[in-house]
Amino acid sequence: MIRRKLSIILENKPGALVRVVGLFHQRGYNIESLHVDPVIELKKYKYVEDNLNIKIAEGEVSHLKITTTVNDNLLRQILRQINKLIDVLMAEEIK
Amino acid sequence: MKLAGNDILIQSLLKEGVEYIFGYPGGAALHIYDAIFNQKKLQHILVRHEQGATHAADGYARATGKPGVVLVTSGPGATNAITGIATAFMDSIPMVVISGQVAKHLIGTDAFQETDMIGISRPIVKHSFTVESAQKIPEIVKQAFHIATSGRPGPVVIDVPKDTTAPDKLFDFSYPSKVKIRSYNPPVNPKSSQIERAVEAILESEKPVIYAGGGAINSNASKELFLLNEILDFPVTNTLMGLGVYPATHERFLGMLGMHGTYQANMSMHNADLIIAIGARFDDRITNTPKLFAPNAKIIHLDVDYSSVSKIIEANIAVFGQVKNSLSEIIKLLNKKRDLVDNKKIKPWKEQISEWKDLHGLNHQMYLNESDNKSIMPQAVVQHTYNITNGRAFITSDVGQHQMFAAQYYHFDEPRKWINSGGLGTMGFGLPAAIGVKLAYPKEEVVCITGEGSIQMCIQELSTCTQYNLPIKIININNEALGMVKQWQDMIYGGRHSESTYQSSLPNFIELAESYGHVGIRIEKNSELKSGLEKAFSLKDKLVFVDVYVDPDEHVYPMLVAPNGSLKDMWLDKDNKT
Repeated sequence: MIRRKLSIILENKPGALVRVVGLFHQRGYNIESLHVDPVIELKKYKYVEDNLNIKIAEGEVSHLKITTTVNDNLLRQILRQINKLIDVLMAEEIK
Repeated sequence: MKLAGNDILIQSLLKEGVEYIFGYPGGAALHIYDAIFNQKKLQHILVRHEQGATHAADGYARATGKPGVVLVTSGPGATNAITGIATAFMDSIPMVVISGQVAKHLIGTDAFQETDMIGISRPIVKHSFTVESAQKIPEIVKQAFHIATSGRPGPVVIDVPKDTTAPDKLFDFSYPSKVKIRSYNPPVNPKSSQIERAVEAILESEKPVIYAGGGAINSNASKELFLLNEILDFPVTNTLMGLGVYPATHERFLGMLGMHGTYQANMSMHNADLIIAIGARFDDRITNTPKLFAPNAKIIHLDVDYSSVSKIIEANIAVFGQVKNSLSEIIKLLNKKRDLVDNKKIKPWKEQISEWKDLHGLNHQMYLNESDNKSIMPQAVVQHTYNITNGRAFITSDVGQHQMFAAQYYHFDEPRKWINSGGLGTMGFGLPAAIGVKLAYPKEEVVCITGEGSIQMCIQELSTCTQYNLPIKIININNEALGMVKQWQDMIYGGRHSESTYQSSLPNFIELAESYGHVGIRIEKNSELKSGLEKAFSLKDKLVFVDVYVDPDEHVYPMLVAPNGSLKDMWLDKDNKT
């Protein structure tokens, strides 16, 4: 079991954050730390725009950082489950 | 066109082609109900309990492939709908549930019939919306139907605060023609590299099995699966949810696999060198102990949901996309490589499977002609029903032994004919689901195979059947006990039947059915079984409740040995294990 940092970009709207956080509990994963901010500095997030071929406006999405302790297989499953949420644009591990 | 919020909602549903809405009125939904009253196109079906509304919409969706639509009020209306939403979620059924909510200014005040529907339903919906204003309704409805029906389908909740449907405030109404949700892009077409790897593995295999599930039905991939196997000639098994996606009477069909799957299906999976999983999710009722599952098999997994692949069993080759499209691509590539397809290579494997089938396969004639000295066997009830309906009826079921007997002994040759709660295992599903199916297909035979335990969980819907004149046939396989619970207690708990019998408290189902204006037929002897069922099906315009008393001690076999068993470890009857 290794400590992992996840980076999640999601729509900044009511109810979006709780879907991600709720999923951890529903699927039996634990959250060790959590931090969320609206995305203001758009330059840093050009990779999201390029990856999804979209344009993001200031404050329109949030960046959620979660630390959790899981093995490799479970990590892949967590990321796929998070990515499946309708309000999530991208979820990946920060190496 | 200027409309009020309640009319905007109904007009939006009509734009989505909704013909039936299953529901129950109450305070927070009354503006919407008034809008329903003022139009003729959308027919509302008044159930007797909100659970019935969700199951009826679910049955409609499973039979037609179109989304089922539900309307309930806030508070208890919404919470009563939860079991039905969870049922649809577990089986990936497209459904849109509209729940009334207290007015926005009351939210959070513990108002009368207020409950946090979005919060309560969150883990069991694909997505949910709260309507913030009447102007947002068309866009939300459009998105809700898109999400419910695309990718891996599922239920979507729209929570509608009462003030957003107020009849006295008018807004411009126009319905969006297109929908784009930037954060939601389920895969549609597979990558060609994945198809190439899949075909390579298919051509190499000597002991292949095709394992198709509910996803293949959701994707309407039945024709493609059949065409693929006209080329490959592989043995096919279906999950409980997949029954009908490959014709059950076809010689290549092995029967259902898993917990109560056939001997040959489970043995084939265990010994295979290649498993082609098509819209199936390796659920625990299929794999038994995952570590012991199919030790020598390479796995090709076709699915539309990334998170379903390699969740339980690691896939060697993952093919993401609508399985219908993925199968078409595999067929195209195989057609180009036709000279490499060698059907002779799998001949020894098919001979082996044939031996397994002869050794311990189900005998489909066994109980048909028993004498009156013996109890009626539940299997015979299903066998006669199959014969009388020529295998063409829609069969809904509840959960328990009768469900497994129906799955084992009614041979489904077409998809969407077998309607059951496979994932959540919801007792009470069968009768309301049959209502949804019968409304969608009024001219077809719709049969609910149930048990005396399950039917009592939504029996109030007999009244709905009276109101809308729905001549469903209910076949109650009555063993006077919670049969599957009792079976487990017999096998695992030393025969201690804790709370699984009712001590002579069952109602007279015949009189009960008659009190709703239906027909009741009681069958207690083998000599009455065939004729009694024939009589029930001859009464075309009546709902007939057939109450069949069967052997109370019968168990469902085969049954996987658990815990720590593999797919080859089965109980074959009460005394014998593999």
